[in-house]
Amino acid sequence: MKEWIEYPDGWIWLGQVLLAIAVVIGVVYVLRLGWRAASAFLATRPALDRPLGLTGGVIAVVGALLPWVTFRLNDGPYPDKATLQFFDAPFALSGFRLHTLVLGVLAIVVLFLPLPRRRVLRALGLGAIGIALVNILFPVIDGGGLGAITSDGENFAFGGIATLVAGLLLLFAAKTGGVLEPVPHWKSAVPRLVAYAVLVISFVVLLLVVAMMLNAGGQGGVGNPYAGPIFLSLLAFLAGVLGALQAIGLTTWISALSDQHKWFSVVVLLLVALGLPFTEAGTDYWMTTAANIGVYAATAIGLNIVVGLAGLLDLGYVAFLGIGAFVAANFSGAAAAAFDIELPFVVAAIIAAVVAGIFGAVVGSPTLRVRGDYLAIVTLAFGEIFKKAAQNNIGDLTGGANAIPNVPPINWFGQSFDKPLTIGSVELPSGVLYYVLIIVLVALVMVVFANLKNSRIGRAWIAIREDEDAARAMGIKTGQAKILAFLIGATLAGLAGAVFAHKTSTVAYDSFQFIESVTLLAAVILGGMGSIPGAVLGAALLLVLPEKLREFSDYRLMLFGLALVLIMRFRPQGLVPDRHRRAELADEGADGVPIEELNVHDTPGDEKAVTR
Amino acid sequence: MATLLQQLINGLVLGGLIALIALGYTMVYGIIQLINFAHGEVFMVGGFASLATYRYFLPPSWRSDWWLALPLMAIGGAVVAVVLAVVMERFAYRPLRNAPRLAPLITALGVSVILKEVVRLGYPGATAPVPFPRAFVDHQFRFEFFDGTVNIGSTAILMIVVSIVGAIILQTYITRSRMGRAMRATAQDPDTARLMGVNPNRTIVLTFTIGGALAGIAGVLYGIHITNVDTEVGFLYGIFAFTAAVLGGVGSIKGAVIGGFAIGLIKTLSGQYFPGGTQYDLVWIFVLLIVVLVFRPQGLFGEPERVRA
Repeated sequence: MKEWIEYPDGWIWLGQVLLAIAVVIGVVYVLRLGWRAASAFLATRPALDRPLGLTGGVIAVVGALLPWVTFRLNDGPYPDKATLQFFDAPFALSGFRLHTLVLGVLAIVVLFLPLPRRRVLRALGLGAIGIALVNILFPVIDGGGLGAITSDGENFAFGGIATLVAGLLLLFAAKTGGVLEPVPHWKSAVPRLVAYAVLVISFVVLLLVVAMMLNAGGQGGVGNPYAGPIFLSLLAFLAGVLGALQAIGLTTWISALSDQHKWFSVVVLLLVALGLPFTEAGTDYWMTTAANIGVYAATAIGLNIVVGLAGLLDLGYVAFLGIGAFVAANFSGAAAAAFDIELPFVVAAIIAAVVAGIFGAVVGSPTLRVRGDYLAIVTLAFGEIFKKAAQNNIGDLTGGANAIPNVPPINWFGQSFDKPLTIGSVELPSGVLYYVLIIVLVALVMVVFANLKNSRIGRAWIAIREDEDAARAMGIKTGQAKILAFLIGATLAGLAGAVFAHKTSTVAYDSFQFIESVTLLAAVILGGMGSIPGAVLGAALLLVLPEKLREFSDYRLMLFGLALVLIMRFRPQGLVPDRHRRAELADEGADGVPIEELNVHDTPGDEKAVTR
Repeated sequence: MATLLQQLINGLVLGGLIALIALGYTMVYGIIQLINFAHGEVFMVGGFASLATYRYFLPPSWRSDWWLALPLMAIGGAVVAVVLAVVMERFAYRPLRNAPRLAPLITALGVSVILKEVVRLGYPGATAPVPFPRAFVDHQFRFEFFDGTVNIGSTAILMIVVSIVGAIILQTYITRSRMGRAMRATAQDPDTARLMGVNPNRTIVLTFTIGGALAGIAGVLYGIHITNVDTEVGFLYGIFAFTAAVLGGVGSIKGAVIGGFAIGLIKTLSGQYFPGGTQYDLVWIFVLLIVVLVFRPQGLFGEPERVRA
């Protein structure tokens, strides 16, 4: 840090910054020109797909076998004792070399199968580029400098570069002919047992993937700088594979099946989620993180009612989580609680939910008069009022800066929730009961959400979101519907808050600040507005990433902001778009989803869905 | 009585600052109906940029002369703020001009978070409030008033003067000049304005430029008056300024200025006289915002919302 300096060297800095900007713009411009020229050329050469794809696949396989550069952690604190070395780790399941190999082999195999190969190649290529970039950039950014791309000083390692080239070749292969093939439509009328089997298998695979993701690279931190890159490169690999599966129509088919057998899917998903403690991710640490994700996911689903369904932007939503937490804490028998009674958890949770719901209706009441952007500001103002009131210990209810510490853990049937649970001879980690409780809570919230969405009021919300005046003209009582959205959303958040209070044991006002509201909003938007799996996925990503990228934790908020901007710009429907939403935003299959394909319910032989 | 007068003066100074920021909000909202959440951060960046101009760009011999250093700091702050506002418009908001209305608002939120974090992590020592040079254009005028002494700093006078003069110039520009007429036309109906030969994009960029320049100047004034600048102030004053713009009627220059002074006075007076004191002054402002939005959404000087095709 520079204090008072003798001569104004700011000018030198300014010159460097401007030069850097110019270089970046120039490079981007050249790359874009090159990409356009290549695309135009390839569009006229449809026969090049196999040669290019084959070369790309082979290079990816070779790249996986070549040495890569990465850090090796010697004795002592990171990063002082880290040196650049070749990566010679075994081909672990979560290792990027295996992933690169798999991508390359898949790319070669798909060339000889009757599948929409260009789409698949595009997904696989992007996955390979992602893996290569993550693993190249990590040593470079973390102190290796540009030389770390290919060398540790004496030896050369071209694995990363080869994989990058392979990914580009696969992308080029996808560009041949100029158009992508349509996504094949799989028949969704299959025998019941087959459908059940497919669903069970996919959910179990999902569980294993989640466990692997949580475990990949372990817990982030100073002692384990690899956690971040390993996790990110696994993410790139999974995105590539998932994209490929979507390209051949498999994911659409599975989601259509799970739509048909909704209750079966819910039950299986619940059972599978309860299996997580038994996998490799069943440690204290990941159980606690998973429980946090659950709290955020439940709250995000509540927010999704307000933002995703009713289209009312709420920027102070975390206040309802806070209200729920403070109410529950005050009835929990904690020493600092305002009331000297200890209610059973269920009763306290219901009171918390009701109180939060009442506040939700109060905050929602300006919606009768205030519209759109102004409403966002009203909710923001409410959030700030809540924070100020809690900070100043209003009515001795919040403990102010001292918070309410030592909220006792939930205790059912003599089993305290913060102690390890032993069933028979199996000892489960200590966070497991909270995890189970929260899974049940999330499932409950999901069911509430799904039923509301398809109900009369849910359709009214969607109508209001699309055009409030038209909705009113159609006889929808818009005022009631909007207040109801706030009320229900806030109730769900209050319920989550009650669990939160017991789980974290300390309820402080600074857990409920504006930035938490932004995080929740980012979770909803990242996942896809109006989509349940989206909200869960968004919350999971936004909470797991910071755990993995501890050494980059300073940049967490900046990345959230960047995510908001980029998603709004490039993928406003989110990662897992809601079907309605996707239909509204799709233009002629821009993201590979033609509108006709969305009417899965009209498939013949699908009586169950049609009758609904 | 002296306390009251002192708080009134403090309120007017704060109000002048808020008014300068509110002008940017109100103009942008008037022309593209976007709540530019990031505008408060532009103000904050303006403050940091002017400090950086002083520290890292002015030759040491120029620093002691306020008549030389202050205008250059103001120019530095304003230039950076303008560049920021224009880049923001071009790359974040323009691509979304025909998107659903939530999209640009959420983008603005994201931009605001990014700007704050970039400054917090990028500016040397900005994780805590960064001090502005003290004893620099800092002369206190004291006088006796009934039962006590009242202080007015030279920076306070500067703040009030600049905000009022700025608003008058802006009002004249918008009502009298050719570009001002284009701005009003675009605000009223962009499509018809285009038919009449107005370039809407250029007009919108001009709006962001003016708003950014005013925010940058507000940043300098804030810095020399408070004698430090902090990454937190962008969000806070952004909300104050937005409240002021809403109170006065979004789209109205006069409304933004009067709203700004009103908010400033409410903050200082409620901090002094209301129960809870300065702990709750924010709460009163937000309560006022909600009440205004509910009972008079068009604000004090705004026109009732027109139905747009």
